[in-house]
Amino acid sequence: MRGDGWEMIRYASFLGCQIPMRYPCIEIASKKVFEEIGLEAVDLPGYSCCPEPVNSRILDKTASLTISARNLTIAEELGLDLMTLCNGCYETLVEANEILKHDSKEMQKVNSILKQFGKRYRGIIKVKHVVEVLYEDIGIKRLEKQIVKPQKFSVALHYGCHLYRELEGGDIMRKTKMMKELTQLTGVEIVDYGLEQLCCGYPSMQADEEFSLKNRLLPKLKRIEEAGADAVVLSCPACMIQFEMGQTMLRKFGYNYKIPCIHLMELLALSLGVPPRELHLVFHRIPPLRLALMTESM
Amino acid sequence: MTAKENEIIEHLQQELGPGLVDATIPCERRVSIKIKSVVLSKAVNALKKRYSALRFITISTVDNGLDFEFLHHFDVDGAVITLRSLKPKEDNTLESIVDLIPAANFIEREIADLFGVKILNHPQLQHLILTKDWPDDKRPLREPLEGEIPPQTRPVAEALISTSCVAPVSKFMQRRREKAGLPSAPPFAFTDEKTLQEFHRMIRDTGLDKKAGFDWEKKRLRYK
Repeated sequence: MRGDGWEMIRYASFLGCQIPMRYPCIEIASKKVFEEIGLEAVDLPGYSCCPEPVNSRILDKTASLTISARNLTIAEELGLDLMTLCNGCYETLVEANEILKHDSKEMQKVNSILKQFGKRYRGIIKVKHVVEVLYEDIGIKRLEKQIVKPQKFSVALHYGCHLYRELEGGDIMRKTKMMKELTQLTGVEIVDYGLEQLCCGYPSMQADEEFSLKNRLLPKLKRIEEAGADAVVLSCPACMIQFEMGQTMLRKFGYNYKIPCIHLMELLALSLGVPPRELHLVFHRIPPLRLALMTESM
Repeated sequence: MTAKENEIIEHLQQELGPGLVDATIPCERRVSIKIKSVVLSKAVNALKKRYSALRFITISTVDNGLDFEFLHHFDVDGAVITLRSLKPKEDNTLESIVDLIPAANFIEREIADLFGVKILNHPQLQHLILTKDWPDDKRPLREPLEGEIPPQTRPVAEALISTSCVAPVSKFMQRRREKAGLPSAPPFAFTDEKTLQEFHRMIRDTGLDKKAGFDWEKKRLRYK
């Protein structure tokens, strides 16, 4: 229990690969947010890639499940549910957890490999996206009370395809609604642009760069600009790479966009009163610092 | 009816020891023996000595992208025995069995022609099917050295297997992270040698490295 009467919540934190390497600013913002709201994010010692689904799943299902199970086992050993900050990691780990919990043959195969390293997957933890943790475990009411610096700019939301993933029978809009409500809390004005559900094109970049940029990212950017949004709010580092790098890459096709992108955790950190300079927003290709400072000066 | 087939397997197990990797009887009168390529001659010799009725059928060659699989087929009184051996394509050789089985002469030359495989110790290695001026680098049945991973995602697969992370934290980023008040890297498996070794052993146990075509010595895929 914290001094303010709120219960301290603990999760094993799965940072994935892209955040530490490409966007440490999301890691910094998350730490600040967790400190402010009373969430202890415990590091996963010796974790690996979730693994990324394109290669490993296609090549070998059991290998992919074993890598996921190893990560899940580290959280099990800590006795904590697992929280991810990345939509891709979320999908991989949720699916692996679900498959292994219900497919005893796969679980046996995986455990026969993990056994050699003194590990055993037991299927006793949940995997949650940080959006779910904030919404369900912390709660909108509790967060609302802590907002001290409502942000004064307008944003367009990009949820990311993997945020729609649900277990069978689940409401695929559940987490996107959570993300929208959490974004609203921060004080920003959310502008609808009609293409919120369109993929940003990140997965198709590997297959066809021009298609990915022109048929996926570009329509979104056009609508976002027309809607008058100052920035895009995202919850996935891979989508963030696509939005930021993609805008640069579109220049060679004659399109000149410079829309800043901000992760939900960065936006929350700002609204919780974390000074913009402490968030190291310069890690972004199109740093949203100008927007943060805009609120500061008001 | 499988007594003879079992007897053949037992005999080869005795003769080859760990050189015999796997043996199955897929159906009546069929024996499939996976062997290490280094014991090929020994295996053929063991069959020849034991079974006077041994008849050589042919050698099939399969180019599976990363490796060649050579299937030496024999007949013993109506039972077909196939010796299956695998060689990485970078090695590009096959040991000749002509000294033991003269009838293998032509098929080995055919393999050399069509796949560009160098047949070691063949007594008369000349073109059999192709013309004398046929270019060495264009063989009709040879595929490029390639695994299952599409070109665009190869760096990701390499990084995952070698470092446990698809986007390893570069020295530059490590310095930037430290400057921003973060540890140089989060507690990834690659930050601890023992943990990384454990991760690598796990990758080997799942067979992902073989399927991907990963070269552990060079720490990269066998193909670009």
